[in-house]
Amino acid sequence: MLTYVVRRLLYGVLTFFGITIAVFVLVHSVPGDPISFYVGSHGAQSLSRPVLEEIRHAHHLDESLIRQYGWWLRGIMTLDFGNSFIDHQPVIERIASKLPNTFLLNLIAFLVAAVLGVPLGLWSATRSGQPIERASAVTSFLLYSLPSFWVALLLMQLFSVRLNVLPLFGMTSDDYLDLGAAMKLVDRAKHLILPVVTLAYAQLAVFARFSKSALTEVIRQDYITTARAKGASSGAVLWHHAFRNALIPLITLFGLSLPYLISGTVIVEQIFQWDGIGRLYFEAILTRDYPTVLGLAIATAVATLFASLFTDLLYAAADPRIRLEAR
Amino acid sequence: MIEPTGEAGSGMWALTWRRYRRSRLAIIALVYVGLVSLIAIAAPVIASSSKASLIGFGPNDVDMVNRLHPPDERHRLGTDELGRDVLARMIHGARVSLTVGLLATAMALVVGSFLGAIAGYYGGAADWLVSRAIEVVLCFPLLFVSLAIVAFFGPSVWTIMIALGLTTWTNEARYVRGEFLRIREMEFAYAARASGARDSRIIFRHLLPNALAPVLVSASFGVAYAILTESALSFLGLGVPLPTATWGSILASAKDYIEYAWWLVIFPGVAIFLTVAAFNIIGDRFRDALDPRSD
Repeated sequence: MLTYVVRRLLYGVLTFFGITIAVFVLVHSVPGDPISFYVGSHGAQSLSRPVLEEIRHAHHLDESLIRQYGWWLRGIMTLDFGNSFIDHQPVIERIASKLPNTFLLNLIAFLVAAVLGVPLGLWSATRSGQPIERASAVTSFLLYSLPSFWVALLLMQLFSVRLNVLPLFGMTSDDYLDLGAAMKLVDRAKHLILPVVTLAYAQLAVFARFSKSALTEVIRQDYITTARAKGASSGAVLWHHAFRNALIPLITLFGLSLPYLISGTVIVEQIFQWDGIGRLYFEAILTRDYPTVLGLAIATAVATLFASLFTDLLYAAADPRIRLEAR
Repeated sequence: MIEPTGEAGSGMWALTWRRYRRSRLAIIALVYVGLVSLIAIAAPVIASSSKASLIGFGPNDVDMVNRLHPPDERHRLGTDELGRDVLARMIHGARVSLTVGLLATAMALVVGSFLGAIAGYYGGAADWLVSRAIEVVLCFPLLFVSLAIVAFFGPSVWTIMIALGLTTWTNEARYVRGEFLRIREMEFAYAARASGARDSRIIFRHLLPNALAPVLVSASFGVAYAILTESALSFLGLGVPLPTATWGSILASAKDYIEYAWWLVIFPGVAIFLTVAAFNIIGDRFRDALDPRSD
């Protein structure tokens, strides 16, 4: 187990460097003077030559690319992503202030998707070959093919415009501060419903498909046949032998779904004007706020890296075959 | 090379096709994709300003009197905020969606197959490097990266294609690598090597055609994903630049008139949904049909 852990961690460190190199290369292949990354493309035009030279020197732009990468990497290691062009606040603080909103939204969506999707998938796997299984497979496919921004618009049109029971967008109502404690909670919950549904439905389909194929795979195994041959009831076989082993692969899914959740966050937060990191990222893109874009790109990639490290280790702990096969 | 054979064939492709067409849904999806492709190709003829065209409106013809007009005899799917015919714009939007979907997938196929083939064939350091590269790409939220590439390099069909190609080649690479690890130990591969064929010939003439089937499955899912992402980018205002009609950009204007212009929301959304679903269904049923266990 220890060799596996060490190896996996070493690969994690390598991947981290890969992430930083990928972002660095991408940024340096953008056409235009790299100085615009520090003073903005408008700033570069209005400054005099000596001032520009000074900025160039201060940001190590007069050094070789390798050394520039070194300086930049040093900043990242110390969590210094620079300051935003827009409000001149440190990028790391901007991210930290929006993160709780995104986290709340995604956590609830994730839980809803898992709590509904996993049992649905397991249940449809036990109905293998029956019409209900085909129907649920097709349904999950159709759910998966729905564009989330369209679903969001349909939900808004139905629940906010026609029925007028849920708010169109935002995180709280205009009169939020005047509400009592209980009504504040209700108000927040109401604003959460549509974004959560928009984020959760596709995840739900993925969870259902994944857990279904995991259980189908387990049911094909010899030890299930053995348990049946011993005369165990089919309920007992499923409960004691199949379900537990089918749940193990789900661990990896939880790690893998993080980048998809973050991608979905951009669209959902933009449509529902939810004040989280997805919206922060999108606005940074539109305003060419490079430090914020880079900071968020690195931060989300590293978060995914940690999630996948964590799930791999958890997986190895749950399934001895993994750590033994990997030697 | 294995060629698709006719009715009486018993080659892999003929068997696969026989299994595939058993699913009615799969046939419907295939017919739908064929129809949309025809419409996309014929768009300039079907929907142009000339009176002879089927729709009678081009995608950018402005009908000032009938702005945001609900569907009627004249504008069968209504008009948008500038008085442009929604049906004409959707017909032209199909061109963008299919072009981007196919180009981006082609790019992912070329990059992914090449890297996957090298990793699987040579193993060792090449395999190690490609595997690490895949791990790095998988860490990034794909929409984040696509948005950044498209915004910084300027939105166009080509940057979208490159953005999607660069972020989605990992699936193809993994499939090709897996297949190569399996088939490079098969007798025909040894035979090719024994007869003195160059590596490039073994890879491209002997091994790659035999690794194609699972890659085509993932390509079908790839087209679905690319169309979905292209329309998301257009919806966010970073797709193929206006005034080019795209399904996503119609939905973007629908957002501003959501209070009453329901037709702007419904029709382009249905088009995206059906097209993405069709490619997903084709990929799924094709994968089932390739599996000999399904017989």
